[in-house]
Amino acid sequence: MKRYHTKGNIIFDSIIYVVMILVLLLCLMPFIYMLAVSLSDPNAIINNKVSFFPIGLNFEAYKQIFTYPNFFKAYGNTIFYTVGGTLISLIMTSLFAYPLSKTVLAGQKVAMKMVVFSMFFSGGLIPNYLLISNLGLTGTRFAMLLPFAINQFNLIILINFFKSIPTEIEEAALIDGLGYFKILGKIVVPLSKPALATIGLYTAVFFWNDWFNGLIYLNTSQFPVMLFLRNIVNGTSMIGDAAGSADKATIAISIKSAVIITSTLPIIILYPFLQKYFVKGLTVGSVKG
Amino acid sequence: MALTENRTKRENNRQKHFKRYWQLYAMMVLPIIYFIVFKYIPMFGNILAFRRYRPGMGAYGVSWVGLKYFKMFMQDPAFWRAFRNTLTISLGNLIINFPIPIIFAILLNEVHHVRFKKVVQTVSYMPRFISTVVVIAILSEMLSPSSGLLNMFLQNTFGIEPIYFMNEPQYFRWLYILTDTWQFTGWTAIIYLAAITGISADLFEAARIDGANRIQQIFYVTIPSIMPTIMVLLILNVGRMLSLGFEKVLLMYTPSNSQVSDIIDTLVYRTGLANQNYSYATAIGLFSGIIGIILVSSSNAISKKLTGDGIY
Repeated sequence: MKRYHTKGNIIFDSIIYVVMILVLLLCLMPFIYMLAVSLSDPNAIINNKVSFFPIGLNFEAYKQIFTYPNFFKAYGNTIFYTVGGTLISLIMTSLFAYPLSKTVLAGQKVAMKMVVFSMFFSGGLIPNYLLISNLGLTGTRFAMLLPFAINQFNLIILINFFKSIPTEIEEAALIDGLGYFKILGKIVVPLSKPALATIGLYTAVFFWNDWFNGLIYLNTSQFPVMLFLRNIVNGTSMIGDAAGSADKATIAISIKSAVIITSTLPIIILYPFLQKYFVKGLTVGSVKG
Repeated sequence: MALTENRTKRENNRQKHFKRYWQLYAMMVLPIIYFIVFKYIPMFGNILAFRRYRPGMGAYGVSWVGLKYFKMFMQDPAFWRAFRNTLTISLGNLIINFPIPIIFAILLNEVHHVRFKKVVQTVSYMPRFISTVVVIAILSEMLSPSSGLLNMFLQNTFGIEPIYFMNEPQYFRWLYILTDTWQFTGWTAIIYLAAITGISADLFEAARIDGANRIQQIFYVTIPSIMPTIMVLLILNVGRMLSLGFEKVLLMYTPSNSQVSDIIDTLVYRTGLANQNYSYATAIGLFSGIIGIILVSSSNAISKKLTGDGIY
């Protein structure tokens, strides 16, 4: 250890720490800026005074989006899609992953090939769009949920995880007279919490962030919050109607920031708790399926 | 005699097999239906590229037209522009965003303060979880000519007049690439970090005994040891060249930057969904899908041959 604190090492370490602090700042800066803008006085924004601290602290923008009925509706829609979509996806993925983890089954290899092939070749935008509309899902909330019931990458992560569970436990359960449905529900799923948390997080983030499918399949009242935000950014959705036209632009900026903050907050809050799982999930997933 | 015996034996075995595992087969019913309906039917839907579509006459068109739509887009300057743009953006993206996560992972690995390392890791992964809509919304606010941070800074420090970054074509590619850097550097670095963690400590020890300093250790131990990982990811990235972040481009697209921002996917979106030219758009989509699958499978084959490792 004595040799460690040489001059060269100290310089090297300093450079690395400077770089890492820069990375930290770069990753956090946009959020801090948005937070500052969303909490600032519109006059301070228009005079270009706001950088990383809110100037003239006010909660007007938040008050306004919370009185905005469409925002609430969109937020509720997003929660619905995220919870519903994640649940459906976890159930369907487990139902497929468990049998696929058993190589004794006839057709297991074919099914695996079918899954992998569909990862690399897909219908493309138009055939998918025509399928959804021919199924009559356009304009229903199912259009957001059903097409994404199974993600192939998540499926492969879960198959690999299920394969790593010792078969002795299942054999004991089989001797005790449990069927495979019960084994899956009562033994395999509880043992797979880390893997399920990982793919559950990926799935939840996917549903939370999705806007494009809402854009092409849904009616305005069913829009998720990201599409609401995108429409504000595009200027296709009017905001700040209550204010005079001169203030509109600046109020619009702070409202935009407030929507950005509120629509991203759940992920930022949830994410540190689940972080320990997903790194594991990614490295498991990178092992070939 | 022996033959029939064998057959009945086999049938008995099959019956036994099914009796034993029927629940596992039953589990697969819904997922298989899902795959057929939502993954495989759209694949067959691609035949629309060879058929003429008529509104209200089904999803598979009304009559065969052969390669008409393929010939059409081959002669369409808008297609070639989108094709060029796709290649330019993905090549630029590869050149810039391929090495950065490697450098980041190597440097992060040199941080010995465990807590600090964890904090940097946690924060650097986070942007990966942010919606593209939010990323572009933040970007457009930070670059806004009237109130954005960057223009404010440029004006106060250098006295530069506000620039409309989001609208001017010359900034589009940089903005696309740099937002990718911001969003995915930390995330991609996870794989390299895992590879670095797997390097045997003996190698570093030996290098130290030979008198290598830390920079030399990076160049003579760390980088050569993670070279297989780097190669696999490089080849796979090349394979995914045509699949750009479609949603991001769509969000950044404005009529004034369309010269550089129209990529194959946005072209499919505009001709297909906005102008309802379904067959034409399907043909373009199918073409880029096939090129994509050729790129992925050949790069995977190369990766397997060179490094013994691929994704499937």
